[in-house]
Amino acid sequence: MKNNQIFGFSVIHVILLGLLLLGMTSCEDPIDINLQTGPSQLAIDGWLTNQPGPQTIKLTRTAGYFDAAQPPAALGATVIVADEDSVIHEFVDSKGTGNYVWTPKPGEVFGKIGKRYLLGIRYEGQEYYAISQMNPVPTIDSLVFREEKPNPLEKRTAFEGEFYARDLPNRTDYYWIRTYRNGKKLDGTENILVSYDGSFNGSANTDGLLFIQPIRTSINPDSLYNMNDSVKVEVLSITPDAFYFFLQLSTQINNGGLFASPPANVPTNVINRNASGPKAVGFFGVSAVSSKAVKVEPALIRPSED
Amino acid sequence: MMPFRLEFWRFITFLSYVIGGKPTFAVIKQKQPIPAVFQSSNHPIMKQFLQIGLLMLLVSSFVLAQGTTDPASATRRTNGQATVSGYIKDAANGEGLIGVSVFVKEAGTGITTNSYGFYSLTLPLGTYNLVYSYVGFSKQNRTIDLTSQNVRLDIELKEEGRDLQEVTVSTKREDDNVKSMAMSVNTVEMKTIQKIPALLGEVDVIRSIQLLPGVSTVGEGATGFNVRGGNVDQNLVLLDEAPVYNSSHLFGFFSVFNPDAVKDVKLVKGGIPAVYGGRISSILDVRMKEGNSKKTTVSGGIGLIFSRLTLEQPLFKDKNGQARGSFIIAGRRSYADILAKPFLTGDLKGSRFFFYDLTAKANYRINAKNTIYLSGYLGRDVFGADFGFNWGNTTTSLRWNHVFSDKLFLNTTAFYSNYDYLLDSDLKRKNTKDFFNWKSGIVNYSIKPDFTLFLKNNTLTFGGQAIVYDFQPGLATAASGGEVRTFGLENKYALESALYIGNEQVVSRKLQLQYGLRYSLYNYIGPGEAYEFQTDVPPNQRRFPVSTTTYKRNEPIKTYGNWEPRFSAKYELNEVSSLKMSYNRLAQYIHLVSNTTASTPLDVWTPSTNNIKPQIADQIAGGYFRNLGKTGTEYEVSVELYYKWLQNQVDYIDGADLLLNKYLEGDLLNGKGRAYGAEFFVKKNRGDLTGWVSYTLAKTERFVDGINNNRWFPTRFDKRHTVNIVALYDLNKRWSFSGTFAFATGTPGTFPTNGYLFQGYLVPHNAENSRNNYRIPPYHRLDLAATLQNRKKKPTQKWESNWVFSVYNSYARRNPFSVYFRQAEDKRTVTLNGEQVQIPVAEAVRYSVFATLIPSATYNFKF
Repeated sequence: MKNNQIFGFSVIHVILLGLLLLGMTSCEDPIDINLQTGPSQLAIDGWLTNQPGPQTIKLTRTAGYFDAAQPPAALGATVIVADEDSVIHEFVDSKGTGNYVWTPKPGEVFGKIGKRYLLGIRYEGQEYYAISQMNPVPTIDSLVFREEKPNPLEKRTAFEGEFYARDLPNRTDYYWIRTYRNGKKLDGTENILVSYDGSFNGSANTDGLLFIQPIRTSINPDSLYNMNDSVKVEVLSITPDAFYFFLQLSTQINNGGLFASPPANVPTNVINRNASGPKAVGFFGVSAVSSKAVKVEPALIRPSED
Repeated sequence: MMPFRLEFWRFITFLSYVIGGKPTFAVIKQKQPIPAVFQSSNHPIMKQFLQIGLLMLLVSSFVLAQGTTDPASATRRTNGQATVSGYIKDAANGEGLIGVSVFVKEAGTGITTNSYGFYSLTLPLGTYNLVYSYVGFSKQNRTIDLTSQNVRLDIELKEEGRDLQEVTVSTKREDDNVKSMAMSVNTVEMKTIQKIPALLGEVDVIRSIQLLPGVSTVGEGATGFNVRGGNVDQNLVLLDEAPVYNSSHLFGFFSVFNPDAVKDVKLVKGGIPAVYGGRISSILDVRMKEGNSKKTTVSGGIGLIFSRLTLEQPLFKDKNGQARGSFIIAGRRSYADILAKPFLTGDLKGSRFFFYDLTAKANYRINAKNTIYLSGYLGRDVFGADFGFNWGNTTTSLRWNHVFSDKLFLNTTAFYSNYDYLLDSDLKRKNTKDFFNWKSGIVNYSIKPDFTLFLKNNTLTFGGQAIVYDFQPGLATAASGGEVRTFGLENKYALESALYIGNEQVVSRKLQLQYGLRYSLYNYIGPGEAYEFQTDVPPNQRRFPVSTTTYKRNEPIKTYGNWEPRFSAKYELNEVSSLKMSYNRLAQYIHLVSNTTASTPLDVWTPSTNNIKPQIADQIAGGYFRNLGKTGTEYEVSVELYYKWLQNQVDYIDGADLLLNKYLEGDLLNGKGRAYGAEFFVKKNRGDLTGWVSYTLAKTERFVDGINNNRWFPTRFDKRHTVNIVALYDLNKRWSFSGTFAFATGTPGTFPTNGYLFQGYLVPHNAENSRNNYRIPPYHRLDLAATLQNRKKKPTQKWESNWVFSVYNSYARRNPFSVYFRQAEDKRTVTLNGEQVQIPVAEAVRYSVFATLIPSATYNFKF
C-alpha cells in the first residue's frame, strides 16, 4: 500500500476496511527471482545531530539487492565535515569497518543551529561532497497516553501515545520524527515519519499550528504501549531536500499492492565533483534534536476520546 | 455558473443560425445579457469560432441544397426521388433497436438504424421490397410504393427463437462484419454479457469488454481498461451520451453499470467517426434501456455482492393501449454491511461500507417527429466508521430527437456530469479540535446537437458540442488543537467546444467511404492563477514556479485548437469478405493525474493549461474481414493491424506530489507514446455453441525525457500476447453453460539491481536507472458458469427466474498483479565485527488480487 502522506492517517485504514471484503482473496507470497546485479557504488549513510557524543558516517558499497543487508564496507576513505566558518571535523575509521567517527573533545558538541555543513569524501580517487544545514527545532511540550484497543478486532486495551509540539511560526519547517520503545528504535518501514510545518506534504497551511493529530499519534507501534514502557520521542529539524528524500524512501520501501507508484531510485544529495565519474547513493544530513522521554504511568494517562 | 449557461444558449443560437438560417430553439428568445466573450468578434475565442462557423455555413448550404428542412416535403417528391423513413422497435417492449439492417432488394443497398432506432433511405421513384433484419429477431419484408410520395414506415420486430433459448453473440446485422463501414468496433450484446462467467456472479460490462481483442487492463481489480495502448483516462465512457469519470465501484472490482438497465454496449477502438471526440483512445458507448412501453415488468436478482431491482413501465397510454412513453428505474446496492451489522460491535459499530447505484430513464413521444429522453445515473461508494471516505458519479442527460423531415434527423443532448469524493477524519466530529476534511471533484455541463442527413448514397452527420468544465482539484479543512485552517486549490475552469462534419458515402457497391473533420477548440479560462515554471531544471526533477499571473472571470488563460481528420474506407472483395482501413486524429484536453499502478478514486482530473498540453493521438488501422459457414454468416473472422502515435502524454517526476499541490504542473513531464499490434478475432454466431477466440499481439511504449535514460520503455500495461476464449453452450431449454479463458504475457515491472542500507533500512536501487526492466510471470485464468432456468408451473405463469452458478479463477492460480521488493517484517540477527546486530531481510513478493477460486450463486427473476 502506498504510503500516501497527505492523508496517511485515515485513508490507509479506510481502504483496508474496504478491501476487507475482498481481502480474503488477495495474497502476497515471497517468490524466488533472479536479479542481475549492477555495478557497485559508494553508499553514504551520514546523519549528524547536535546531541552529545561521537558522530558517525557509514560508508559502504551497494551490493546485489538480496545481499545488500550485509554490504561490503567502503574502506580507506578520507571523510571530513566542515561548517561555513571552515571549522573542520575529521571522521576516522579506526576499526576498519567503514564507520567513520568524529569524537568530540570533552564538553564539545557537534553543530550550531543555523549553520551549513559540507561533507567531503575522497574515495578511490573520486571526490564527493554534500551540503546540509542545521535548522531550529521546537520543543516537545508533553507526551501523554490514552487507553485504546490496538485495533477494533482486539479485546485487549493498551496505551496510545500522543506528543504535543508546536510548529515554529513564520517559517517553513521540515521535521523527522523518531520514536524509541524501551530503548529500541521503532524501525519498521512504516515508521519513517516526516512532517512539513507539523502537517503532511502539500499545500497545507499549518504554519505555527500544533503538530496535527495524525502526526501526534504516529509514534505508536502496532500493539501500542504497555504500562511502564519507557517511550522516547525525538523531533529532528531537517532540510527540504531531506524531507523529499525521506518521503521517497518511505514510498519506495512500502511500494506494493494495487496502488503502487512506479519504482524509482531514492534521490541522493551526495555529488561526485567529477560529473562523469561514478555516482554515489545515500544521504548526508544534519539535525538539531529535541526529545522527550517518559515512562507510561497513571499520571500520564488521559481520558480516551471515545 | 450563470455565464456558462448563457454561453450554451449563444452556442445553440449560433448553430441553429448556421444550419437553418433561423433559430429552432424558441427558448433562446429570453433576454439575457451576452457574455463578454461573445460580444466582440475580435475576441480570440470568438474569432476562431467564427472561422469554424463559416466552414459550417459552407457545409450547411451544401446540405440545404441537397436535402430540405421544409416540412411540406414530407408529402412531395423531389428530383425523381423519394424517401422511406421511420423508427424500428422491439415488439416485446417497444425499445428502439440500434443497428437494424434495412436492405433494398432491388437496389442491392441498404442502411442501418441509428442509436435511436431511426432510419431513412432515399431511392429513385419506384416500388421496392425492403427487408428489415436484426440478429435474434424475425425478418420482416415490406413492399413500399415510392412512386408518388415519401413514406413513413415504423416497424416492430419480434424476437425469434424464444423457446429455443438460442444465444446469438453476433453484431447486429448478420453480415455486419463484412458489410459494415465500421472497423475496430466491437459490440457485445447484453444477453452475451449476462452469460459470461462473472466475478462473484456480478455481471459486469467493463470486465466483459476486457475479453475483446485490443482491450487489456494493468491487472485484475484495477479500475478501467486500456485500449490499444491507451491509458485508462483516454477512454470516453458514455452513459446515454454523458461521460462517466470513474467507471468503478470498490476501487475497480465492479463497474458502475447496472446490467439490468443496459441495452447496448459498443466499443470503438479505431476509425472513430467525427461525431466523437474528447478522448484519444476509444469510445465506450453504453446505451440504457428505454423501459418497456408495452407492459409493466419487474426484474431483479440477488447475488453475493449486490441485490438488484428494476421496474419498467409504459407511460401515457392512450385509448388503444398505445403508450406514448415509458420509464425504467433500476437500483443496486451491496449488502455485505447489512449482513455484517450484528457482528460489528464496539469501535466497529456504525461502520459503513456499501456502494450503490441508481439508474433511471424516461422517454416521451410528443408526436411522430419529436421524442424526448431523460436519463440519470447516481452511484456512490461509502466507506467509513468515524472516518469517512466516499466517492461517486452523477450524470443527467436530456435528449431531444427531432425529425425535421424524412431526411434530416436531429438529436440534441444536454448533459450534466459530476464526479466527486469526500474524505473526513472524523465524520461525527467527536473531536472538534482535531480533524481533516477534503473534497475534490469535476463537474461539467454540455450541449451537443447532432444532425444526420440521409441523402442518396450519402449519410451526412454534422453538429457540435460545447462543454463547460469546473474542476475542483481539492479543498481541505484541517484543525489542529482547535485552530481551523482551510487550504487547497482554487477551482479551475475550461470550455471545450467542437464542430464537426462527416459523411458516409456509397461510392459503388464495393467501395464505401466515411470521412469527416472535427475542429475542437479549448479554452482554459479564469478566474484563476497561471504559473510559469523554471525551464533550466534537468528532466525528471521538480520545477519550481517563477511567476504567477492572475486572471479574471472568463478571461482566456490558454487556448488550444485542433483539426481532427477522420477517414475510413471499406472495399468488398466479394459477398463474404472485405478490406477496411482507417485513419483518425483525436485530441484530449483533460487528464487524469495518477501515477499509481491502478488508478484510485482519489485521482484528480486536471485541465490542459499553459503548462499541460492537450494529448493528441493519430491512428492508422487496416483489416481483413470475412464471414464463413453454411449459412454464410455462421462464423466471423477478422484480422486488424494498427499503429498509433501519441503526443503530450502526461508523466510524473519521481516522487511527484499529486494531491493538493498548487504547483502540480511542476511535477509533470511531457512524453510521447507509440503503440502497435495485430488483432485476430474468430466468432461463432449461431448454434448451440457460440463464442469467440481473440488473440492480440501488441507493443505499447513511451518516451519521456529523464525517464529510463531517455530511451523508450514499455508502459506498465504493455502485454505482448493476449488470448481470450469465450464459449457459451446451450445444453437444453433449462441448462446453459459458459466458460472464459484468458492468457496474457506478464506486465513489466521495475526491479532493483542493487541495494544499500540507510539508517537500518534496506533501500532498493537500480544502477542503470531503468524503468520497467523486467516482466512479471504470465497471467492465465479459467472461469466457468452454469445457468439454470427454473421451470414454470403453468405455461401462463408470468414469473420467470433462473440461477447462475459461477466459479472465477477455477484452477485457483495465484496470478501476479505485481512483483515488488521489500524488507521482510522480521529482521535477522548476525554477528558483525564481533557485535550482534539485526539486519533486514530482502524479499521479492508476488502480489495477487484474487489468489483463489471464487465461487458464487446468483438468483435472477422477472415478472
